[in-house]
Amino acid sequence: MDPVTERRLLITRRHFFSAGSTGIGIAALSSLLARKAHAAGGLSGLPHHTPKAKRVIYLFQHGAPSQLDLFDYKPELARLRGANLPDSVRRGQRLTGMTAYQETFPTAPSVFQFSRQGQSGLWLSELLPHTGKAADDICLVKSLHTEAINHDPAVTFFQTGFQLAGRPSIGAWVSYGLGSENENLPAFVVMVSQGVGNAQALAERAWASGFLPTRHQGVKFRASSDPVLYLSNPPGYDSTARRRYLDDLARLNQMKLADYQDPEIATRIAQYEMAFRMQSSVPELADLSTEPESTFDLYGPDSRKPGSYAANCILARRLAERGVRFIQLFHRGWDQHGNLPKEIRGQCLQTDQPSAALIADLKQRGMLDETLIVWGGEFGRTVYSQGTLTEDNYGRDHHPRCFAMVLAGGGIKGGRTYGETDDFSYNIVENPVDVHDLHATILHLLGVDHTRLTFKFQGRHYRLTDVAGNMIRGILT
Amino acid sequence: MRRPFVAAVFLFAPALSAADGRLQFNRDIRPILSEKCFLCHGPDAKTKNIPIRLDVETEAKADHNGRRAIVPGDPDKSELIRRISAEKKPLLMPPVYSGLKLTAHEVETLRVWIAQGAEWQKHWAFIAPVRPELPRVRNSSWPRNAIDHFILARLEREILSPSPETSRETLLRRASLDVTGLPPTPAEIDAFLGDASPEAWTKVVDRLLASPRYGERMAARWLDYARYADTNGYQFDGERYMWRWRDWVISAFNRNLPYDRFVLEQIAGDMLPGATLDQVIATGFNRNHRGNTEDGIVPEEYAVEYVVDRVETTCTVFLGLTMGCARCHNHKYDPFSQREFYQLFAYFNNIPENGRAMKYGNSPPLVAAPTAEQQQAHARLQAQIRAVEEFLADREPQIARAQQQWEHHLPAAGTLYWAPPAGIASIFELELPGLAATPAGPPEYKAGRVGNAAWFDGTTFLQYGEYGNFDIEDHWTIAAWVYGDGKLDGPVASRMADNPKGRGYGLHLNNGRVHVHLTSVYETDALRVETEESIAPGQWHHLAATYDGSRMVDGVSVYIDGRPAKLKFHANTLYRPFRNAGRRFAEPFRIAGGWGTERRFKGGTDDVRLYARVLSREEIESLAVGQPVGYLAGQPPSRRTAAEARLLRWHFLENAAPNEIRQAWDRLVSLRREREILERSFPTVMVMAEQPVRRDTFFLVRGAYDKPGEKVEAGVPLALPPLPPAAPNNRLGFARWLVDPSNPLTARVAVNRTWQMYLGVGLVKTTEDFGVQGEWPSHPELLDWLATEFVRSGWDMKALQKLILTSATYRQSSRVSAELLQKDPGNRLLARGPRFRLPAEMIRDQALLAAGLLAEKLGGPSVKPYQPPDLWKELIMQDMEYVQSKGPDLYRRSLYTFWKRTVPPPVMVNFDSANREVCVVRESRTNTPLQALNMMNDVTFLEAARFIGQRMMNEGGSTPELRLRHGFRLLTGRAPVSGELEILQDSLRYHLDYFAGKPEAVDAYLNQGVSPPDPALGRRELASYAAVASLILNLDEAVTKE
Repeated sequence: MDPVTERRLLITRRHFFSAGSTGIGIAALSSLLARKAHAAGGLSGLPHHTPKAKRVIYLFQHGAPSQLDLFDYKPELARLRGANLPDSVRRGQRLTGMTAYQETFPTAPSVFQFSRQGQSGLWLSELLPHTGKAADDICLVKSLHTEAINHDPAVTFFQTGFQLAGRPSIGAWVSYGLGSENENLPAFVVMVSQGVGNAQALAERAWASGFLPTRHQGVKFRASSDPVLYLSNPPGYDSTARRRYLDDLARLNQMKLADYQDPEIATRIAQYEMAFRMQSSVPELADLSTEPESTFDLYGPDSRKPGSYAANCILARRLAERGVRFIQLFHRGWDQHGNLPKEIRGQCLQTDQPSAALIADLKQRGMLDETLIVWGGEFGRTVYSQGTLTEDNYGRDHHPRCFAMVLAGGGIKGGRTYGETDDFSYNIVENPVDVHDLHATILHLLGVDHTRLTFKFQGRHYRLTDVAGNMIRGILT
Repeated sequence: MRRPFVAAVFLFAPALSAADGRLQFNRDIRPILSEKCFLCHGPDAKTKNIPIRLDVETEAKADHNGRRAIVPGDPDKSELIRRISAEKKPLLMPPVYSGLKLTAHEVETLRVWIAQGAEWQKHWAFIAPVRPELPRVRNSSWPRNAIDHFILARLEREILSPSPETSRETLLRRASLDVTGLPPTPAEIDAFLGDASPEAWTKVVDRLLASPRYGERMAARWLDYARYADTNGYQFDGERYMWRWRDWVISAFNRNLPYDRFVLEQIAGDMLPGATLDQVIATGFNRNHRGNTEDGIVPEEYAVEYVVDRVETTCTVFLGLTMGCARCHNHKYDPFSQREFYQLFAYFNNIPENGRAMKYGNSPPLVAAPTAEQQQAHARLQAQIRAVEEFLADREPQIARAQQQWEHHLPAAGTLYWAPPAGIASIFELELPGLAATPAGPPEYKAGRVGNAAWFDGTTFLQYGEYGNFDIEDHWTIAAWVYGDGKLDGPVASRMADNPKGRGYGLHLNNGRVHVHLTSVYETDALRVETEESIAPGQWHHLAATYDGSRMVDGVSVYIDGRPAKLKFHANTLYRPFRNAGRRFAEPFRIAGGWGTERRFKGGTDDVRLYARVLSREEIESLAVGQPVGYLAGQPPSRRTAAEARLLRWHFLENAAPNEIRQAWDRLVSLRREREILERSFPTVMVMAEQPVRRDTFFLVRGAYDKPGEKVEAGVPLALPPLPPAAPNNRLGFARWLVDPSNPLTARVAVNRTWQMYLGVGLVKTTEDFGVQGEWPSHPELLDWLATEFVRSGWDMKALQKLILTSATYRQSSRVSAELLQKDPGNRLLARGPRFRLPAEMIRDQALLAAGLLAEKLGGPSVKPYQPPDLWKELIMQDMEYVQSKGPDLYRRSLYTFWKRTVPPPVMVNFDSANREVCVVRESRTNTPLQALNMMNDVTFLEAARFIGQRMMNEGGSTPELRLRHGFRLLTGRAPVSGELEILQDSLRYHLDYFAGKPEAVDAYLNQGVSPPDPALGRRELASYAAVASLILNLDEAVTKE
């Protein structure tokens, strides 16, 4: 427990003793405080093994970035430009309702150049110059696949391990299992930024707690005067007045506790105290004015714009420094059904530098080893053009059968490519990785055996990985 | 009690020390086997090639190669005992890799049970409840009704005593919140405190149950169970309109509709003989599931999901069964096979629906569901219309005479034509050239069918600006005379992008056949119909098309020469408006244009008309007559067609009849138009319906929509009773089966949920699961007594609640002692009254009521109260905006708050509301810092606090003490004790000091919310009282039912 928290709790304790409560009131509070300390450490018996990573920063690229234009280099495709996608490749796989009626499926090679990057010689697109500089720190998994073919079910699947609504999100699972390292901040924080490309809707369910207790839901940080909903005191009411207000509230609640002896009252007193602490810890966290110039240089010009992906990346680092367990950014705008070359360039301008900066920044602070970074969307995109293929323009439809993600940091082997797709980036030919495998791996790196993090609901022991999930051993250090 | 903690742990564990020492399979054994063994040795064992099942008695006791899992009376010979106590890891059960482990206590329990003879029992919840005798109690003066006998008997067994009755104030607040969702007013408190009669409490209970607020309170929970929301969910999450169903629920509770009817009507009200509109609306229950409207989906996939959702929700809400577990494989714990899942699926699979839901508005099947006021207005109009019709009918001889005279005097020649005047939008008579821009050059104007016509040469067309600005939910009629020159191909009139697949609508000729379309996306999102017959070239034809805004192919009609034409459809899904997602739809209205330059019409077009309504067949016939009035009058009546005669009569009534008649006719026309407009304003609601030809249902391999196995027939699971004898094997029969008294689950599940609402936790804690993995009831006999009593009373929901409310159990104080807290932390034994944080909606509603802001009105469209700005904008994609309501709608009860599934109202989420995406029946409560922030800083609560402060000053009295007392009482329902009052006075003094000399701070603090403060009050004082009101609002007691 940090000294500030300690003092705060002592003050609260002192209130208790001074309010002349009966013995049980004190006992209830003491046991509550003891429980709190325990809850901060998560479930008993966790972690199951020594973790490689203390926390996760998950950079969700919402809308599904094209693997063909960023990561999955297919030089042979240039020759097949415009040729109809062979049936032997497509194998009658289902398409979305958007291109199922298309008469032809013209092969659309990427218009972007690829080159080898870093010592490891990872192939990366020209759209990712900054990521290229971090090539030796990242692991490129090219063989992800998913069951869903539409955004909402696909995002829900990535976030909860199931396509339909109702189950807890991955961050909620982590919060439930491992608890928080910081008494003043939630264990699971979410930030959303808007891209320049075609955006799809995002649902709050992506960070909901499902059937887990609500306190494990992701808390959304927003770029507004209220970084967390209802955080700020009303205008005209300062924190001195609030402190006094809370003291009076606690006195009244303590009287009630002494009378009724319901431990929920003690919990409520403690939650109001945590709310007060958040009122200072969150704005302090969200205030980037204390960052040196070099930070903004590193994360790029956008990083001065509150709410931008770049600013959120800086916040992610600050949250990581403060021990927040699961930090998830959603950047919208990757749904390039048309005008892909122009739109994806814009998306990359917003994300490439800050993503790479986050890796470099954590590394220079010695935190990369203990932070797992995940970068990726909910599915991939088709090799054939949606709509007309021209010299410099095309679109790509949803493609769940293969796509790429980037992992870096705690427990991940850098400078490595894992998995392989066919010449069309249409089917996986080596080391397929499904969503549950990714989840199992993330949990493993956090010291959690994914088969043993369960919650009984409706008579069943649910888990994030449902009945599946194998660790991706080939990418681990 | 020396070891109270141990006692608490084993409260619901096997009672090895039970009085008779006998273990019961249902209570003591099955929970162990289910939790630790059934995953493999359960109903799904065969598909995993596991030979031994432990969920079936005969198999568990059968001989398997010389070994028997269970040998009654002989634990040592039982393979089960040998394996669970094996020391060698490879032999040990459950296997180490499963992560499951039996405790020593569990092993011992199984051993003792086998030694006692291993007596089996069918799962308790699948055996119909039998009304038990009231147990005997020692303290016979405590029980007030049957409930108390059961509760007390158990307490006495545990050597506990019930708590004393709580104070009248606390009891009144508890019950007011429980029954009406709102706290009592000071006047109500005074009345109850002042009522010394022995019936005082019964009177209060009756008053509360009779309040219309009761229906709202009950509906709030029912909406959670029914996953009610105002949007479709999934990705786009557009608006839908299910509030008429929500209002049906409120009214059903308030009418005290018996629960069996309540269930029957929601499951199959549409199939009841002579179903009323209300009974059809009730079936909206099973249309509240989410609907996917995303462009790229495979509709068949979601059509399956909707049916699965119906099965899961229906089984959870009415049967307490987790049937969804059997979708992909046999149930792992309960005796339900995957096949049986699809048999239930079949009951809900015969609805004429599309897997892709409508992006905006309701998806078929739906009904127009006028509100009571609208129904009254409609009836009024009907009566007025009938009166005028009778007036005219009575004067028929006089009218006929007058018409005859008029016809006589009419000049036979002339170019006066008649057309229906009501709802006309635009007439293009084409008499005068040069009206419209013509990029390809002007058409030729020369004689046409009823006047001049425009003649097109295959390149020319006419283009007008803002005419025919209809979208997919509008009603319209297009009519025109057309003369085809040769090929008979190309557009007659349209408002669409000028290309072959353009967005918009049009009336075209396709190689002689009449073609009508409404197109949002050519391939996937359009209605396209075409006549079977062709029209002939070289002659005039009258063409008309009508569309009724239904977005359904049935909503389009085409007439050729006044006769309805037989249609074939080529596309039948229309779900996005032309103006979808902020797209502009600035196409002009064109005559002979709109299919691109390749396909222009060649020929003449005359008298093009647009109506903003669907013309009747008779009206269209009259348009197709195509003769001047004078000419028709000149024909002897015997030679006139019916249409001609009607046209003449209409013209006469409109223009030439005697004054009195003409005025009556005018009035009739406008009343009919008024009725039509009223009917179009009726809200709709999605409902259940049956297809005439039953859709086949197939077993789905691993639950996947695209892996159908064998065909299955509808049916109920074998483990439960069969359909009642007279019930048909369809959804209606299934509904009758649900509420048949022989059904072991329905009544138990319902009373258990009611119990949960009042006592905080169900008698079966797992409200959603009465299967073998569900929790053993804390009071099994009470559950059965209540269930049988419920049925005996005619499923009387209010009577059931009255029973609970008048019990001594409910009336106990919720104070707890250290000893009791340790022995029974969850209060499952009910040695004290319930004490729980209020549900989300009550927290807000209570604040509004205490503030005097609550705008009470039953029902109506959902409203949008305060919400932090941009919450929707940050996440959604298109053109839905949170437009905050105005006036009273800012202050309606929270069950009327607009619920957007992907971005639900934050106050509801913060306070643990059900998610409204899927069915949720268990109530959950957490205690978080976000709740504290919400209560302290949300404008909703700040404004309410200001109004409470204002009430303190205006109503409380002249001294701070009196005022603070008043405010405290408004929220807690009791007077503060002196210690509390001191703190409140302290706080008030502090705030008066704090705000002193800070007028800006006062202004800012008072400037929360749109309702202005009382100008007569001192602002610093008001701000200070508001701050103290906020403090009271945030008290644990204020957010708690005590």
